[in-house]
Amino acid sequence: MRIIGKGAALAAGVSMLALSATQLAAGTVTWWSPNFHAPRAAELVEQFHAEHPEITIEIEVTTSDGLPQRVLTAMQSGAAPDIIDVQHGWVAGYALNNLVIALDDIISDEDDFIPAALEYVRVDGQTYAMPFRVEGLAVIFNRGHFEEAGLDPDNPPETWDAFVEAAQALTGDGRYGFAITGGGEFGNTIFRSLPFVWMNGGNFISEDGTQAIVNQPEAVEAVKFYTDMLVEHGVSPASTLQNDGTANRRLFIAEAVSMYQAGQFDLASIAAENPDIELGVMKIPYPEGAETAAILGGWSFVIPTGARNPDDAKVFVEWMSRPENMGVYTDTFPARTSAMEMERFQDPALSVFGEMLPHTRPVPSHPAWVQIMQAYFDGVQRILIGEQDAQAAMDDAAEDIQALLDQH
Amino acid sequence: MTRISPGLLFALPALIVLTMLVAYPIMYTALLSVTDQQGNLVGLQNFQRVMQARTTPVAFYNTLVWVGGSVVLQVVLGTATAILLNEKFAGRAIVRSIAVIPWVIPGIVGALTWAWMFHTEFGIINYMLTAPGIVDEPVGWLVSRNTVMPAMIAINVWKLFPFVAIMVLAGLQAIPKDLYEAARVDGAGFWDEVWHVTLPQVRPVIVAVTLLLVIWALNHITTIFAITRGGPANSTLITPIQIFRLAFESVQFHQAAALSVMFFAATMVIVAVYIKVLSAKEEKSL
Repeated sequence: MRIIGKGAALAAGVSMLALSATQLAAGTVTWWSPNFHAPRAAELVEQFHAEHPEITIEIEVTTSDGLPQRVLTAMQSGAAPDIIDVQHGWVAGYALNNLVIALDDIISDEDDFIPAALEYVRVDGQTYAMPFRVEGLAVIFNRGHFEEAGLDPDNPPETWDAFVEAAQALTGDGRYGFAITGGGEFGNTIFRSLPFVWMNGGNFISEDGTQAIVNQPEAVEAVKFYTDMLVEHGVSPASTLQNDGTANRRLFIAEAVSMYQAGQFDLASIAAENPDIELGVMKIPYPEGAETAAILGGWSFVIPTGARNPDDAKVFVEWMSRPENMGVYTDTFPARTSAMEMERFQDPALSVFGEMLPHTRPVPSHPAWVQIMQAYFDGVQRILIGEQDAQAAMDDAAEDIQALLDQH
Repeated sequence: MTRISPGLLFALPALIVLTMLVAYPIMYTALLSVTDQQGNLVGLQNFQRVMQARTTPVAFYNTLVWVGGSVVLQVVLGTATAILLNEKFAGRAIVRSIAVIPWVIPGIVGALTWAWMFHTEFGIINYMLTAPGIVDEPVGWLVSRNTVMPAMIAINVWKLFPFVAIMVLAGLQAIPKDLYEAARVDGAGFWDEVWHVTLPQVRPVIVAVTLLLVIWALNHITTIFAITRGGPANSTLITPIQIFRLAFESVQFHQAAALSVMFFAATMVIVAVYIKVLSAKEEKSL
């Protein structure tokens, strides 16, 4: 009897605890949204509250600088929010370390999503994030400079050879034809050079993730094409090794550079800071007989394993994934094709960026991908600094990458 | 029942805080360094992998250059500034205030400002050199192996020499005037005074400050990470940045822990040797 009594009291206590826990958690969802998404986030949350008065979304605004470290620390420490905006490329790492939960049950119309976006966030057949924003780079150019150099801005170069010729024609008098990146955070250079490797039929690592193939002829040729912009042709500024995407934009705004690879988010800031520039956009050049390519970039929602309120978080993420809401929230393009029909994506300035989307691919997913990128980037810098040629640098990079692959 | 000494009781709160904030992280790092992600003991595997990486010896060498270059120049320039500021001249108070500005500027602000000043195309340093024709072509300060580490060291010296100057200046003002008077009676000039009176008198200050500077330079991340992130081609990669990269960019916490343990050991050896050598000298000079 005494034992039963104790058990009952214990059970009552436990259920009360459980009850108070659910009451505490019920209704509140903490959402980390980066500053550039935040204004639209607030707008959408207001609508959501009207439709779902039982759930309260609390937005915490993050900044993109140092965000990967912050997200990782929060997830590892177990004090994570319920929803986080992260870049597609980070998701596989979280999934492999069991830091985020699968969201397959709230992805309704799979075929509506851009395939590369879903492929990005899938590990072992399960989907660990809800992609909402997609984008690819293109080449932005100064139409005025084209005319001065005797080039036709309505027919920008398409192949590698024609592109180099145009870049050389544009270079001179303190002006550079085509700025590549070689500094800053290494992702800048990966996004701008890996597509050239892809177009040429190469890659960093083999499909099955066991072999480093970055020193194969296809890859080396592409790396040489990229780095030759500085080393051989001198059409990229002397400061290339310290320039990231932002620095190149500044050089373009200062009219010191005539062409550079950028995303559509650069269009507005160029127009605002130097309205005199007549902007043109072209596809990223490709080798004769091949197709253009770009890395699919963008953002997804994840729900951390340590989220206190995953159920309500799922309700909100599902709501946000509807075309009409996703189309409002994204800064660039939405991850669903049906949302692409919205008015704001019909701007002619965006058309080339839109044309690039079908050519985008996800970066390979591998547990050591960040270190692989670092090894490759070190190689690119050794070429740009003039220490090694493309083959030697990529041979060293392949050796480093192979060592990383063998560890997994 | 034995009574706990009241002294220990008074010290206990501080000890608990210290244990939690210092001892626990150190022990946990040591534990991480010999385990894998599943928590299995893997012996020295993490250490082996870190040692095999091409960047590890490079970073180690760069760290030596960085620490050596920074500390020597900081001490020399700081001490010289202190001696200068100890002399009486008009406007001394203003000069003393201006001298500490680099030290009070937040590290990240200083670093980003310098990054733009050193920029090949936009930088004011290249502008000042090319405009009057001192050099024909802009110098690629941060894009060439020969200039990038000296540039980083220069920034670090600029940042911390005021600290040395203030500490040494305080030491200088504690030197009794009669020592100088006695030296002058013996016919000593300015340099004799500096060499035989001033420097021996402020030696303990310089010794302590140097130790601090060594530790700070070994731990430093801000300046280099904000400007070059260890590049180009790892020419400014120092071990603390390599640890940061491993842990927070590559998510290899266990390898990062292994490297931290080795770095910690090396630092302890350097500090121990430094203290040992200096205390031996002190005894000899007494």
